[in-house]
Amino acid sequence: MTMLPKTVPGAKKLGLVIDLDTCVGCHACAVSCKEWNTGGEAGILPDYDKYGPEPDGVWFNRIHSYESSEGGACRTVNLPRSCLHCEDALCVTVCPTGASYKRAEDGIVLIDTDICIGCKLCSWACPYGARELDEEAGVMRKCTLCIDRIHNEDLPQAEREPACVATCPSRARHFGDLADPQSKVSQLVKQRGGVDLLAELGYRPTNKYLPPRKAAIPTGPREAPTRAASGIGGALLRLLDRALSR
Amino acid sequence: MRPAASVLLLTTLTGFGYGLLAWLGVYAALGLLPATRWFAIGAIALALLLASFGLVSSTLHLGRKERAWRAFSQWRSSWLSREGVAAVLTYPIAIAFAAAIHRDGAGVMVRLLGAAAAAAALITVYCTSMIYASLKPIRQWHNAHTAPDYLIYAAFSGAVLLALLNAAVFGTPRVTAAVAVAAAAVALLAKRAYWRHIDAQTPLATLASAIGLPKGSEVKPLDAPHFTENYVLREMGFTIGRRHAVKLRRISLIVGFAAPLGLSLLATLSLLPLAATAAALACAALGLLTERWLFFAEATHVSALYYGRRI
Repeated sequence: MTMLPKTVPGAKKLGLVIDLDTCVGCHACAVSCKEWNTGGEAGILPDYDKYGPEPDGVWFNRIHSYESSEGGACRTVNLPRSCLHCEDALCVTVCPTGASYKRAEDGIVLIDTDICIGCKLCSWACPYGARELDEEAGVMRKCTLCIDRIHNEDLPQAEREPACVATCPSRARHFGDLADPQSKVSQLVKQRGGVDLLAELGYRPTNKYLPPRKAAIPTGPREAPTRAASGIGGALLRLLDRALSR
Repeated sequence: MRPAASVLLLTTLTGFGYGLLAWLGVYAALGLLPATRWFAIGAIALALLLASFGLVSSTLHLGRKERAWRAFSQWRSSWLSREGVAAVLTYPIAIAFAAAIHRDGAGVMVRLLGAAAAAAALITVYCTSMIYASLKPIRQWHNAHTAPDYLIYAAFSGAVLLALLNAAVFGTPRVTAAVAVAAAAVALLAKRAYWRHIDAQTPLATLASAIGLPKGSEVKPLDAPHFTENYVLREMGFTIGRRHAVKLRRISLIVGFAAPLGLSLLATLSLLPLAATAAALACAALGLLTERWLFFAEATHVSALYYGRRI
């Protein structure tokens, strides 16, 4: 069923809150995600040309690094990118087979790989690039929010969270119910001013990102002298600097 | 967006097929079909054959072809599903239309079923166009031009094909060549208007908004997740087309639209009608394939922003 589910009062909105201030870009979440989702009931998450010159494969989670500057202050921003389990998930409504669906009870967007025909239209509909084709099975794949962990009663309570969250060494990833204003994740979003990625496209993603805090120390251009030398020594140094800069 | 051969063939061939069926239906509704019954019946068969080739070729890019039948189920939300349903429903209507011609030649049933077949053909083309027009992350598709343009190009393809059929069977294309001239002119203007429109668009988003930073932040990509290409980049980060876009646009405009216009005009004036309409069809097919290739190759997808590509 590819119609989006009606919002049920009291239904959960499970998702991630990712802290761009503390993410160190170590790729541990991506590796852990790949490891969990390539085994068990989910089957394999394929890799092609594994040991060749052009290795490639399906990843549910990919980590980008950017350099951002704002008024002279420069910083690295690492961005883990995965499915954001949108409320207005166009990837669901465009699906011709009903393989792509959003769960009414917790908002998780999933693919039924038993009926997916691999037409790729859902990947065209996603502005976040979160869906990838499994070229071995001929079906689309995406982040499941580790649905086989979070609701798995065989696991101890503490382990019932997505693999990426469990593994993050800098605690930059948080999992919870974003429909509950009292939940830890909702509080984080409130306190830290969590934002939607690509808010202007109107997909209303469930996952939120906590923006990096403003840099306390402005990082000016490295070449500029940090301490202005004064007096005759300073004048000589400036003269030398000018001569050497020629 | 990567222009996959299967989708180029699908949209071009179904354009010719459904365009031809639509014109036959319109002529029948107006009581203008030639008295030779087998001509219209043969043309309907050709239209269905072309559309079928297109539809079958579209399944070639599927990851699981044997499951293609499942695509008929989600017509309530999916334009791709609606396209499949509309395409299948067009067959019995077109066959009933042909049967009515066989029985009556012309009459109320032929007129009614002709109108129904034309409507079914155009609805199918409209569904195809909406698959593209409904994709919000692609500004070159998600706009008011895409749907009318697909209908216009289908009408143009069908008109050129019908003019050739008339010239080949009756030695003169009669009114159909004049219709092809008009359709080519409209198609040419529509294509130019589309290019003007997408050239004036601004990107849908910035890299700053893609990573959740405030407006005006200056962001540069530092490290990509992996050092090799991946599915998202191959499928949605296609950039080869843009380098040759200007030249290809000129080729498709001259070969695909201006040449068929001029050649159909020659046929209208009864100058070498068969050669002129045949050349018009060849040019239109080549030009429309180029135009369709550009429709994909020039389309940019928001997700390519994450990799620092221009959208």
